[in-house]
Amino acid sequence: MSATGSLNQYIQLIERMYRTSQGNFLSRLLSLRDEHVGNRNLRSSDIATLVEGNCVAPLDEIVISHLLCVKSLYLRDYMEAFEHQSACVACVVKLLQNQKEVNWGLPVMYTVCLDLRLVAQKAEATYLQSNGKILEKAAESLLACFRVCAADNRSSDADTKRLGMLTLVNQLLKVYFRINKLHLCKPLIRAIDSSPFKDQFPLAQQITYRYFVGRKAMFDSDYRSADDYLSFAFHNCHKQSIKNKRLILTYLVPVKMLLGFMPSIQLLQKYDLMQFWDLVSAVKKGDLRGIDQVMEEHESFFISAGIYLIVEKLKITAYRNLFRKVYLAENSHQIEIASFQAALQLMGHDDVDADETQCIVANLIYDGKIKGYISYQHKKVVVSKQNAFPPLSSLY
Amino acid sequence: MSSYFDYFCQNIENETREKSTQNVDRILGTCYSMCPEDEVKLREAERLVHLLEVWGSERRLVKSYSRSAADSNMAVPHLLRPYSVLANTVQYLLLDVTRRVDVPESIMYDFVNDRLRAVRQDITIQRLIPTQCVCLLEPMIRFYVYYGYVLSAHPLKDYDPVLNKKYLLECLKWYLTCCDSIAKEKGNIDELSGFFSGLELNIRESKSKLVNDQALVESLYILCNLDDLHPLYRYLKMTKDLKRQEKLELSYEIAIANLQGNYVKVCRLSEKLCPLLYCALCTYLPTLQRRALNVTCHAYNNKRLTVPSTALVRWLCFTTERDANTVCSHYGLKVNGDAVQFDRSEFKTDAHLHIPVIRNIRKKFDVSLIDIFTYETSK
Repeated sequence: MSATGSLNQYIQLIERMYRTSQGNFLSRLLSLRDEHVGNRNLRSSDIATLVEGNCVAPLDEIVISHLLCVKSLYLRDYMEAFEHQSACVACVVKLLQNQKEVNWGLPVMYTVCLDLRLVAQKAEATYLQSNGKILEKAAESLLACFRVCAADNRSSDADTKRLGMLTLVNQLLKVYFRINKLHLCKPLIRAIDSSPFKDQFPLAQQITYRYFVGRKAMFDSDYRSADDYLSFAFHNCHKQSIKNKRLILTYLVPVKMLLGFMPSIQLLQKYDLMQFWDLVSAVKKGDLRGIDQVMEEHESFFISAGIYLIVEKLKITAYRNLFRKVYLAENSHQIEIASFQAALQLMGHDDVDADETQCIVANLIYDGKIKGYISYQHKKVVVSKQNAFPPLSSLY
Repeated sequence: MSSYFDYFCQNIENETREKSTQNVDRILGTCYSMCPEDEVKLREAERLVHLLEVWGSERRLVKSYSRSAADSNMAVPHLLRPYSVLANTVQYLLLDVTRRVDVPESIMYDFVNDRLRAVRQDITIQRLIPTQCVCLLEPMIRFYVYYGYVLSAHPLKDYDPVLNKKYLLECLKWYLTCCDSIAKEKGNIDELSGFFSGLELNIRESKSKLVNDQALVESLYILCNLDDLHPLYRYLKMTKDLKRQEKLELSYEIAIANLQGNYVKVCRLSEKLCPLLYCALCTYLPTLQRRALNVTCHAYNNKRLTVPSTALVRWLCFTTERDANTVCSHYGLKVNGDAVQFDRSEFKTDAHLHIPVIRNIRKKFDVSLIDIFTYETSK
């Protein structure tokens, strides 16, 4: 909207959009990321008295808190801005509640909620001692919106506010991941998964949703579903959103690797994820020392992405690959435990003994990664004549 | 809906108001004995004095736990004990009461547990500052870890492992949250270890006193939750100083070995643990053994071949060959003399967890009960 014009013009415009139920236009007029924010006329010293009585009932409070928030942002007082934006969201909640049987107000809710999260993040970054408290408060406000949407089950399918649930859930997921409260995601995920509109939500929202749910599945060690969610996100993500695709791949690559699919060097180069390349080659070779080196070199990247423990688990794949090499070199169906042990020692597990080697083999057999059995008496592993090392990708 | 929203708004308002007045409405206890006068009178009259509160002719009552109810006001200063009294109470419960041998251990556990809950309740109501909380919680964590193992073979009517785990986790998480906020306040986590080493409860001048050992608690958090990844995520995000602490590094290594199913390594490394960490691991041992036996059943699956029990003793920390054989037959495996035949179709996956005979921790490490509650890992 225009960056000039008087406060009265601005109010009239908002009222007109409201009367004509133009949610998208109204949302822009109440956004913190719109041109009108730069308009000096809207930053007068006494907004409350100027607006009051000059604007129809449910809108006045919204406009006041919105403009107060803008003012605080210009004064760089992010805490104050956050309070005003919270008030703004609260007023929008009341507005939506009173709009029965229609959902044209949803875009307004999306905008004020997104702005609330952004302001909260800004405040969080400014007041470090708050330690997630501001974002937690923002989440409370978002939840109030979510409840209004989720509870709207009387309206027809086209007009129900339940269509707005996913956008809110995504905002909440972003907050919860940022403040590391993943356990709070569960009820939200359940609400979306059981929603009849599950597949009707906008694609962009579905992608965001699956990106977060996939990450959560990864943290919960549920790699099959993590693969499903993240793959969906990756394949449907717009091809020009390189940054987002890279983010998705940061998690999809290690998950895929665990499931036995190694990424190509072209893919990793394209998305600037070469940290994984050394890892891929080390795992392929069964080079345990190499894996340790990669982990040390890229420690902070792996830890901050939360995939360090997955990399630890990739060592099991490396064992399998190493033992397969021994098996191919020995060219026999009966392999001495001592040969496996020597291979482990050669590759960096210096202190491994026969007992531990057997334990590692035992786990691989249990997981179905080696077909065969161990003979304790003969100190040998007897592997199947056919398909002794089935491809990992066939196991899951 | 709207009423809830009003309630929510009011909450926010109240909170902001609270912040501006900064702790003015914090309640300070004025009860300077371990048990408030009122409760002493009531319990004496109603004959509710616990056997463990009677010391010869003397009676030493300790405030007992009572659930907060809607109609009762618990925030009364003369019913609440200030920090110094709470610290004395914890010390008394752990260092004196636990030494009583005239009552069964499970009864003593119930008594101390109840009184410790009352202490935690007092902490909560008075909203003590984190630096005080950690000093009170650390000994409690030791208590729950130690007795969690010692009592693990007791029947359910005497001791409930689930409840013990619940209290243990409550204390652990509370403690760790306090550590985090202390670190935040300090603004520099590296100073934390130095800060903590100077923080001891100097209540008695005797040689045994309670201490606060953050590395020990962080290690316990890992080893008491071996099937959970969150303690490991926490470990990875720690500062280098803390990470490098020997006990903590070892606990992480054990957890990773367990994650990879490497039971041989877990058992081998467990020999290097200090008494309490060893307790934590031993409590987990039956679970580890069951899973490992299931794995070996698949790996050594053969109708003719066997695995000698001595190998199992080596791999899985069994105390004796007989112990190993009992556990194997409990899970449905055939035992021929001194060897076990692994047949994966025989393994009973639905058999309840077999809890082996409890080993004597104090004898193994040659430490007294007081040592268990007071030793420091850094020394």
